[in-house]
Amino acid sequence: MKFNKKLKTIFLDRDSKEFNIVGKVNIVLSPTLYWVKKLSLPVKYARDAKKLLPSIFEDSVPEGTYSYSVYKSGEHFIAFAYEDKKILNLLTQKGIKNSQIANLYFAQTELNTLETIYKVDKEQVVCVQNDIVILLPSVLFAQSKRLDMSEIKHSKHRVTLTQFGHIVDKKSLYKITAILIAFIALVAIELFITQQKVQTVTMKQEELFSKYKLKSTMFQNRSMLKKYNTIHTKQMKIRIYISAILGLRLQKEYKLTQLTLKNKMLVATFSGITQGKESRITRALQKRKIAFKPSFKNNLFKVEMAL
Amino acid sequence: MNRLNPLHIGVLLIVVLLFISSKLVESKNQLLEVKISYQETQKVAIELSDLKKVYADKKRLKKSLYKILQLSSLRSANIVKTTKKSEIILSSKSMEKKALNSLLGKILNANFNIKILKIKKLSDKKASLYMEIKW
Repeated sequence: MKFNKKLKTIFLDRDSKEFNIVGKVNIVLSPTLYWVKKLSLPVKYARDAKKLLPSIFEDSVPEGTYSYSVYKSGEHFIAFAYEDKKILNLLTQKGIKNSQIANLYFAQTELNTLETIYKVDKEQVVCVQNDIVILLPSVLFAQSKRLDMSEIKHSKHRVTLTQFGHIVDKKSLYKITAILIAFIALVAIELFITQQKVQTVTMKQEELFSKYKLKSTMFQNRSMLKKYNTIHTKQMKIRIYISAILGLRLQKEYKLTQLTLKNKMLVATFSGITQGKESRITRALQKRKIAFKPSFKNNLFKVEMAL
Repeated sequence: MNRLNPLHIGVLLIVVLLFISSKLVESKNQLLEVKISYQETQKVAIELSDLKKVYADKKRLKKSLYKILQLSSLRSANIVKTTKKSEIILSSKSMEKKALNSLLGKILNANFNIKILKIKKLSDKKASLYMEIKW
């Protein structure tokens, strides 16, 4: 719930004493804290005039990092140049925290309707001259009344201080932000595209499973492939070995009497071969690079080929 | 008052950028993994499908074997055919050498999964046969 409570207003000047503030306050900045110009410009709107301010103030203000503001007053523009950093430092020096500031105003916007001269402290008076609010030494106006800040009706011209404007100027900040956002956008688009690709490949993989009627896990499928590869290798060897055995050119008295395939072993048994005469068979098998184990038993020559 | 610290905005944007970048790296790695996995699945699927067609298509193998057994050269070979759930046994106590050559030639040129084979010479023209084919 927002309470419509009137806040205290203080006048901030370089010579102000340290404040002891409770709650929030409105602050009116002394004319010593900003540069002001009453201008006649060939533009219609304040936003157009604002673009011209850096060049207008360029030669009349000391070197520094300035912020600018402007508003239209009748046929003229009232333009301001101020150093955020200096005002912020002064606020800190005077014991005012950022969180305690409700609104900041220029004296120019708040006191430009003063009809007489008022004291703001022991040494200074404030008055309006040629529509510009200025500070003068109080010695010249000893009889002037004290300015009652509580009677000020605040304008809508609030001051916005850019706390870190001295670190990075606004243009650079916008550029850096734009570049970072552009990078983020690019990376985000790339991320989106990549995730879409992941989804597409995953879907294609699922299609493979249904198209080829694969088992649910790759472990099962690999295991099945291994099993069938083993069968295929074994069957190929069987055919190569049997072809080699049946293709042997045996002498008339040599006979192939038995061919047995069992338990990963193909055994060819020959009769009519005396020990030492088997070289023709063994040479033929060696030539075809078939690993075998020859043996003689009961006048039978056996060739065992592991599959 | 504008209390936003540009450094905070910058740090926030950099953090967001780093976060999204890390997600992108993660996503790229994931894409690489799924691509490798897809290629492997494709390879396994094609090889497995081909081998299954050759060695596990029971219907085709049966049809092919019965066609061989109906050859005129094998009709007089007295081949006994015993069909079981996952295998078929062909046996002959005595068959002509010519018929045996014909049968072996046909079976070895086809893609049957021969589990057991026993050929025994009985005489110059005769031999016995025992063959188990699995599917």
